[in-house]
Amino acid sequence: MAQKEFSVVGKKTPRIDAYERVTGQAQYTGDVQLPGMLYARVLRSPHPHAKILSIDTSKAEKLPGVKAVIHHQNAQVPWASGGHTHRRYIFNNPVRYVGDAVAAVAATDRHIAEDALALIEVKYEKLPYVLDAKEALKPDAPKIGPDGNLSVGPGNFSAPITEEWGDLEKGFKEADRIFEDTYISKHVNNAQLEPRVSVAKWDGGKLTVWASTQGVSNARTDIAKDLGLPLSKVRVICKYMGAGFGNKNQAQDYDLMTAVLAKVTGQPVKIEFTREDDFIGMHGRWSSEQHYKIGVKKDGTITAVDLDAVTNMGAYRKQSGNLSGTDFYDIPNFKKVIKPVHTNTVVAANYRAPAYPQSVFGFASFLDQIAHELGVNPYDMFLKNRARLYHHKTPFSSNALEECIQEGAKRIGWNDKWHKPGATPGLKKHGIGMALGGYPFRPGLGAATIRVNPDGTAHVLVGVTDIGTGAKTTMAIIAAEALGIPLNQIQLTNGDTDVTPFCIGESGSRATAFTGPAVIAAAEDVRKQIFNIAAPQLKAKAEDLELKDGNVFVKSDPSQKLPLSKALSRIGSEIIGRATTNPTFKGVEGKSFAAHFAEVEVDSWTGHVRITRYVAAHDSGTILNRLTAESQIKGGVVQGIGMALTEELLIDRPTAIPLNPSYRDAKVPTHLEVPEVEVIFIEPYDPYGTFGGKVVGEPPITPAVATVANAIFNATGKRFKVLPITPDKILQAVQV
Amino acid sequence: MEEEAKGKGVSRRDFLKGLGGGAIGTAVISTGLLDPGKVEAYPTESTGTSRGKSVVNLKVNGKAYRLEVEHRETLAELLRDQLGFTGTKIGCNRGECGACTVVINGRNIYSCSQLAVWMQGKEILTIEGLVKGEKLDPLQEAFIEHDGPQCGFCTSGQIMSGKALLLRNPSPTEAQVKRALSGNLCRCGNYNREVAAVMAAAAKGR
Repeated sequence: MAQKEFSVVGKKTPRIDAYERVTGQAQYTGDVQLPGMLYARVLRSPHPHAKILSIDTSKAEKLPGVKAVIHHQNAQVPWASGGHTHRRYIFNNPVRYVGDAVAAVAATDRHIAEDALALIEVKYEKLPYVLDAKEALKPDAPKIGPDGNLSVGPGNFSAPITEEWGDLEKGFKEADRIFEDTYISKHVNNAQLEPRVSVAKWDGGKLTVWASTQGVSNARTDIAKDLGLPLSKVRVICKYMGAGFGNKNQAQDYDLMTAVLAKVTGQPVKIEFTREDDFIGMHGRWSSEQHYKIGVKKDGTITAVDLDAVTNMGAYRKQSGNLSGTDFYDIPNFKKVIKPVHTNTVVAANYRAPAYPQSVFGFASFLDQIAHELGVNPYDMFLKNRARLYHHKTPFSSNALEECIQEGAKRIGWNDKWHKPGATPGLKKHGIGMALGGYPFRPGLGAATIRVNPDGTAHVLVGVTDIGTGAKTTMAIIAAEALGIPLNQIQLTNGDTDVTPFCIGESGSRATAFTGPAVIAAAEDVRKQIFNIAAPQLKAKAEDLELKDGNVFVKSDPSQKLPLSKALSRIGSEIIGRATTNPTFKGVEGKSFAAHFAEVEVDSWTGHVRITRYVAAHDSGTILNRLTAESQIKGGVVQGIGMALTEELLIDRPTAIPLNPSYRDAKVPTHLEVPEVEVIFIEPYDPYGTFGGKVVGEPPITPAVATVANAIFNATGKRFKVLPITPDKILQAVQV
Repeated sequence: MEEEAKGKGVSRRDFLKGLGGGAIGTAVISTGLLDPGKVEAYPTESTGTSRGKSVVNLKVNGKAYRLEVEHRETLAELLRDQLGFTGTKIGCNRGECGACTVVINGRNIYSCSQLAVWMQGKEILTIEGLVKGEKLDPLQEAFIEHDGPQCGFCTSGQIMSGKALLLRNPSPTEAQVKRALSGNLCRCGNYNREVAAVMAAAAKGR
C-alpha cells in the first residue's frame, strides 16, 4: 500500500469549470433556448389507482397557443427503464399512483401549457388501492402488477432479494444473547435543485435531446430503444447538470415525452417539471421496515444476523429495493430476505447510496442499542465488529476502516465525551454517537479519447456529465497526471454522445472508477506516439523517454529535453490516443469505508436537536482532488442529517395524496441546521483504483443517519426506531 | 364507480397559488373534498386578464430596459427568457429554494416571486452583473477558491444573497452569514463551503 508520488493528484484543485459556475455562464439544460421552441407541461393522476375511461382534449386543443396534447391513446411509448416488473409507458392506463403522468401539452409558452392542462377532461373509474407495503403483501390486497405486489422481475429485479452465508442456526446457538427488533425508514425525495427539464429537437430523422441526465450514454441507449431508433440517430447532450443524486440516471419519461411532442409539432420542445412534479412524479428513496434478529457474545461480538425486511417501491420497480447496511460488519453467519413491494404510492428508486443510509440506520442503531444492553461502549462494539472481509469470505482490495474508526474517535474526543445515555443534567442534553458506512467500489467499463495538439496542449474527451461531483475536474487531473502535461494546458469536453466516448454515467460512484483507467490508458497511448516522434530529435530510444511538466526528456539524463511544442512542431496534425478499458477484480472485493461521529444537544423542553459537532473519517483510497472530495463528504453528511431529523414524504391516508411535495414542507436542511463537518481522509493506495483512489460520492451519506440517531440516544437514553426523529417524537419519549 | 375529474371550474394556476400543488389541486376536486359542481365555474377567459401586457422601465446590471411584459410573467422569467440572463435559476418557482435570488435595490429577493410588472423603476443586479470586465467580484473569486458550487444550480442565488449581505454589512459574523443565506437551499449540502466563501470575501474586502 505504498503512497505514490504525484504531481497533480491529491492537491486542492479548484474546479476547471468553476468560472462558468460562479458567473452564471454555465449552460444547464433549462437554459437552452431554441428558435420556435414550445413549452410543455404534464397532467398527473389525482387518483392512486384508476382506469382512464376517456380523455377529452378538445377544449385544451382549442386554447390559442396549444400545439399538441399527448396521452396514452395517441402516444403509447414504452419507458423501459421506468419499470422492470410490469411494462411501463410514458402514459399508463390504469394509473397507479397520485402523480402518474396522464397527458402532456406543448404550447407556445409555459403559462398557456399550464392553462391547457386544466382544460383536459379525464373520466376515471377509481380502483381499490393500497399504500402500505405490508398491507400490499396480504393475499386480498388490490393487485398493482399483473403478478401481485411482491415485485418480481427479471435478473437484478428478482424478489425476494436473498443473501446467505455461514450457518445461521449454529450462529444463534453460539450467541450468549439474542436480540430482536424492528426499525422503520421513510420515503424521502432526492430534491436536487435543478428541476427536471428536457429539450428535444428533430433534424429530419435525427433526434437531439438536451437532457438533465447523470449519464448521456445510457440516456441515449434508453431513448433509442424506447423510440425504436438506431443509436446513430439519437444525440444526448448534458454539459452542466444541477444534480440528481440518483434520480436522473437513464432516460426518463419526460425525455421521451419531449421527443414525441417535438416530433408531433415539428418544433423544438422544452418540458419543465414543476417542483411538485419533481417530488411526486419521479422517485425518492425507498422506505423500509427492517426486522432484525441478532446473536451476540457477551463482549458484543456478532455471531449471527437474520434480516427480514420489506421495502416500498411504489407503483413501479425502477431499481433494486435492496438493504445493504450490514456490509460494514464482520458477520460470520448471515441471512437476509428483502421483499420489494408495490404499492399505490410515489415510485421509490435510487437516491445516493440507494440501499444504504436507511439500512445503516436500522442496523447501526440496533448494534448501538445492543451495546448499551450488554454494557459495552459503542466504540468497542463498532471497532470489534467492523468488516475485515467481504461477506466474511473475500479480502478487500484495500481496507482502512479500523484507522477511520480510530482517527475519527480521536478527533471528536470519544473517550472524554462519551457518557451513559441520558446522563446530562438540565434541559439541554449532550449526546455523542457513531456509526460505520461506505460504498462498494469496483472497476469497470470506461472509454476516453485524448488529443495532443502540435503546440503541446491537450484535449480530453470523456462522456462524464459532472452532476456536481467535480468529475470533469477529476478527469482533467487524471489526464494531467498521466500525460505529464500541466493541468492548465488541458481542455476537457464532456457530455455529448456525438462527440464524447461511452461513459457509464455518474451513478453508483462509478465515474472515476470506470472512466479514470480509460483516461490513463488513453494518455499512455498518446505518450507512446509522442516518444516515437521525439526519439530521433533527442537521439534516444522511445522507451527511454519521459514526459513531465510539458517537457519530453531522457530518463537517464533529464537535461536532454525538449518542450512538447517543439517535439511536435514538425507534425501538422494532432496526436490522438484512445482507450476502452474494463479492468476486473481478481480474488478481491472493493469498498470505500467511513466512520462518522456526531455530538448533539437535545433540548428536552422543545424536542429540538442541534448537531454541535460532526467528524467524518473516510477511506476512499487516494484522494485525487482534496477540495471537491471534501465537499462531497460534507454534502453527503448534510443529506443524512435531513433524513435523520426532518424529511419524510407524508401521504394522506384517505386520499393517497402526498401532502408535502415542496421544499419547505419536505424540510430539507438549510444553512441554519448544518454544523461544520470535519473531514478526515485515510488514504490506503488501492491497487485497483485510479491512482489508488476508490469511490467518494456515495459513502458519506451512508453512516450519517445512524450517527445522528445514536447521538440522540446517548443524549436522551431513548431509542428512536422510526425516522425521521422529529421534535414531537422526542417530546413524547423524553419526560422533562 | 365513475366520475369526472374535469379541470373546468378553476384554472390550474389558481389552484397552484391557492393550495401550492398541482396534483393536490386537481385531486381535491375529483375526490370530492370539493364538489366540482359547487365550485363556481370560471369561464376559460378568466386567465385573459393575467395575459394582458404592460410596459415597464427597469435597470438590469446597470443597463436601462423598456420592455413589454405579460402581467403574469415573473421577474425570473423576464430575466431568463426575455433578457437571456440565465445565470438566475428557477428551482421551485414558489419562493422556497432561493436559486432565483437577485438583488433589487440592494436587497436579496426571490425573482420567481416578483411579477415583472412590479419592477417599474427598479434596479436589479444579477450574477452576470457582478463581473466587471474581466474582473470577478471578490465573492465569485472566493466561491471558486472555497469550492462554493457543487452542482452549481444554487450558486448564483447563494452569491447574490452574499452580495446583498456584504452591501449592507461588510464585516458579518459567521452566524450573520448563515442567517443571510438561510433562504438559499443547497441540496448538495455544500453549506460549509458557501459560508466560508462569503466570510473569505468579506475578509478580503476589509
